[in-house]
Amino acid sequence: MSRIGVFICHCGENISRTVDVERVAQAAEKISGVAYACDYKYMCSDPGQNLLKKAVTDHNLDGIVVAACSPRMHEKTFRKAAQSAGLNPYLVEMANIREHCSWVHEDKEEATAKATEIVTMLIERVKMNKKLQPITVPVTKRALVIGGGIAGIQAALDIADCGHHVVLVEREPSIGGHMAQLSETFPTLDCSQCIMTPKMVDVANHPNITLHTYSEIENVDGYIGNFQVTIKKKARSVDMDKCTGCGVCMAKCPQKKIPNTFDKNLGMRPAIYVPFPQAVPNTPVIDRENCTYFKTGKCGVCQKVCGPGAVDYTQGDQLVVEPVGAIVVATGFELYNITEKPKGSAIKGYGEFGHGKIPDVIDGMTFERLASASGPTGGKILRPSDGKEPQQVVFVQCVGSRAREKGISYCSKICCMYTAKHTMLYHHKVHDGQAYVFFMDARTPGKGYDEFWRRSIEEENAVYIRGAVSRLYQKGDKIVVMGSDISLGIQVEIEADMVVLATAVQPRTGAELLAQKLGISYDKYNFYSEAHAKLRPVECATAGVYLAGACQGPKDIPDTVSQASAAAAKVMTLFAKDELEREPIVAKVFEKNCVACFACKKVCPYGAVEEKEIRDRQGNLLKVVAWVNPGVCGGCGTCQATCPSKSVELDGYTDEQIMAQIEAL
Amino acid sequence: MKNILDYSYYPGCSLHASAKEYDESTQGLFKALKIGLKEVPDWLCCGATPAHNVDELLSLSLCAKNLELAKPVEGDLAVACAACFSRLKTAQHKLADNEEKRKQVEYALDAPLALDKPVKHLLEILAKDFGLERLAGAMKKPLAGLKVACYYGCLLTRPADVPELDCAEAPTIMERVIGATGAETVSWSHRLECCGANFTLSRPGVVLQLSNEILASARRAGADCIMVACPLCHGNLDIRQAEIEETSGEKYNMPVFYMTQLLALAAGVSSSKLGFDSMMVSPLGLLKEKQLL
Repeated sequence: MSRIGVFICHCGENISRTVDVERVAQAAEKISGVAYACDYKYMCSDPGQNLLKKAVTDHNLDGIVVAACSPRMHEKTFRKAAQSAGLNPYLVEMANIREHCSWVHEDKEEATAKATEIVTMLIERVKMNKKLQPITVPVTKRALVIGGGIAGIQAALDIADCGHHVVLVEREPSIGGHMAQLSETFPTLDCSQCIMTPKMVDVANHPNITLHTYSEIENVDGYIGNFQVTIKKKARSVDMDKCTGCGVCMAKCPQKKIPNTFDKNLGMRPAIYVPFPQAVPNTPVIDRENCTYFKTGKCGVCQKVCGPGAVDYTQGDQLVVEPVGAIVVATGFELYNITEKPKGSAIKGYGEFGHGKIPDVIDGMTFERLASASGPTGGKILRPSDGKEPQQVVFVQCVGSRAREKGISYCSKICCMYTAKHTMLYHHKVHDGQAYVFFMDARTPGKGYDEFWRRSIEEENAVYIRGAVSRLYQKGDKIVVMGSDISLGIQVEIEADMVVLATAVQPRTGAELLAQKLGISYDKYNFYSEAHAKLRPVECATAGVYLAGACQGPKDIPDTVSQASAAAAKVMTLFAKDELEREPIVAKVFEKNCVACFACKKVCPYGAVEEKEIRDRQGNLLKVVAWVNPGVCGGCGTCQATCPSKSVELDGYTDEQIMAQIEAL
Repeated sequence: MKNILDYSYYPGCSLHASAKEYDESTQGLFKALKIGLKEVPDWLCCGATPAHNVDELLSLSLCAKNLELAKPVEGDLAVACAACFSRLKTAQHKLADNEEKRKQVEYALDAPLALDKPVKHLLEILAKDFGLERLAGAMKKPLAGLKVACYYGCLLTRPADVPELDCAEAPTIMERVIGATGAETVSWSHRLECCGANFTLSRPGVVLQLSNEILASARRAGADCIMVACPLCHGNLDIRQAEIEETSGEKYNMPVFYMTQLLALAAGVSSSKLGFDSMMVSPLGLLKEKQLL
């Protein structure tokens, strides 16, 4: 006979307002196997927990049901309390009578009856709970950071400074990301390169960081503490050990007419190149798609002029396997492109803005390159079509963002501030020029942010027009901006020399493919999902994977750096222990019954099911069965629901227990 | 001789009145291309702008009635007027999955709904059903050297999910169709701007301003003429052109053709059957200059 204790929480008034908690306790007390039942105003408080602990010893309890909020909220709290009173924590279950009952009902009679039934079900289940012991797994104290922008760099440096080894993987030939492209940064207008490049150099020189540039994640195996990551190092065609970074190859390359994507195609680069002069590593790569040698087999100039003999046309892609214990994902963002989108895409283009075909309609990042001292114009604001200095520039905010009809409803967060910054940079460089900004509303929450925005209007002469832009078209060498001023209730037309669109921040193309390799979840826009929006903002639901920067949602530099350091701190917390304790709520296979259909393997979202061979003493193969790796199993129970021969069960959620719950109804 | 394709045909009110030349040239062109057009007997007005502004049920019912009348006539329903096309497509769209509205319209018509007949604009028939290659092959007198500004107006492509003729904001179907005649199309800014439409009666000042901008944009792009597929646009750009010139002080002398007039001319239909004489801005000078007459 069980001796179960039932504890009903009022949750202040959250539960007791609609549920008669005393009656629920009285009803519970009458159920066979219940040794004790009570109610209390705040069960999770210190006195509430003491009440539970005292009852465990006083009534010699062997199972507990706490009827309160969701187990996601306080299951751990009560399990810990029971454990300190000497009870196995896995004999404690929560009956959710708040989210599942009091919050969603109004009628007290009915809500009380429902709460009683929920409690009864949990009592029946707890009767069959087993004592479980936490699973321990070893931890490899090396971290992988994916993405070498400011987020990845910050996370890598923090972890490496703490003494742990970091593998940093970057897709482009150099680290630096978008921040290396920016001119000056808000709200202090310090030069982006000046604060970024020292960090890049720190990464290159750090003894604890292994840098793989021009590389991508090919495959991820394993689980928290024990990942095996396969990295594809794309053929650079230049031997990194031999190259001195002298740059002769780039100067002599006869093919110099390749649009420079780092400069948003405003300038040209050779086929053998570094993306920008401060690149880390300062080793060129050959762009094989555009290289004359790779296209026709003739040329070979770079190889001939290379003193150290570093150019190697025969280099192939290389696969490197790195064992790591934690992964920080910091793949960043890209900007919405207003050109025509493929049919069927949920994201639409901007036909009314000419689908990106008007040369002097540029995006914010292109403006950054124009304003950057290291940019294609040497920091002069000159428009792309004819190199003239624009006298009237119209900035349009919320292009793509907050536009449900265009497929994106979220706010891109950084555009209000960088547009204010752009108007200032423009005013600093073109003194008699006029900047206009079309905006919905200025979103400037942040330290010194609103002051910065006010400054652009009050001191830097920017004219802000509240309203949307309906159309852009070329008229001679001007661009006509048709818009509305909703403050004055009139239509406005401005003949501008250049138009800068604050286009939406989107996750990197292919972000979902990486997520699938990592087994992490993402939202409908392909931003990676954190485990809890408020309380676990840098962790993924998948254990051992952490998020940093704009891959999780639009973010400015201060927020990105904060999140990157937070992710690093989480990694260091994990690395602080030699072994890792995991929840023992995992699936177990009854090998006798298993028919090796591996339906469970197909449905397992964690990749936890493996094939296990059973052999006799002579080594003869008797049978193949499914085996669940307890280190990987997430305890979702999908395999249990799928198994046709009922050969796999989740501890704490066995078929018997579920049936007992249903029968209690 | 057997036709290559056969359609039922809904001309709409304008094509029997102010846009007669659109009707004549459509008939002439389709005959030359061996495409059959059989007018829906006893068709009604589509309701145009007034009906849907005042009473949605009336607007939907008129279109549903026309589709019912078209049902027994063989072939998809060919429509020339951009407004009729828009109204018929809108009715199909709105009634497709709105049970309440379907019931109301059925009650009003006292007959079960018959909305299934595909409604096709002439552009769609020429570009997709007939095909651009075959169209180019049927052209006897290429319009080489003629610079045409294709003007879509509001309704041919919008709202995006209703007509589904082409991309709503950057369509190319008119350019592709007239391109088959060898004419040169210009890239210009006001292809999809509103001409002022029905304000031509109530607030002509609006039309004079908007249509002036369209004419100015076409001229800026170096066009010899404008090509339209909508009687109302034609009215505003052609009939009002003298007045626009008067109020703006600009001199355009820009002929405004219906698409079928140019296509039929290229297909070898006699120019006397294309209603050039009923255009307010005479195209004869231009066509002679380009040696197309």
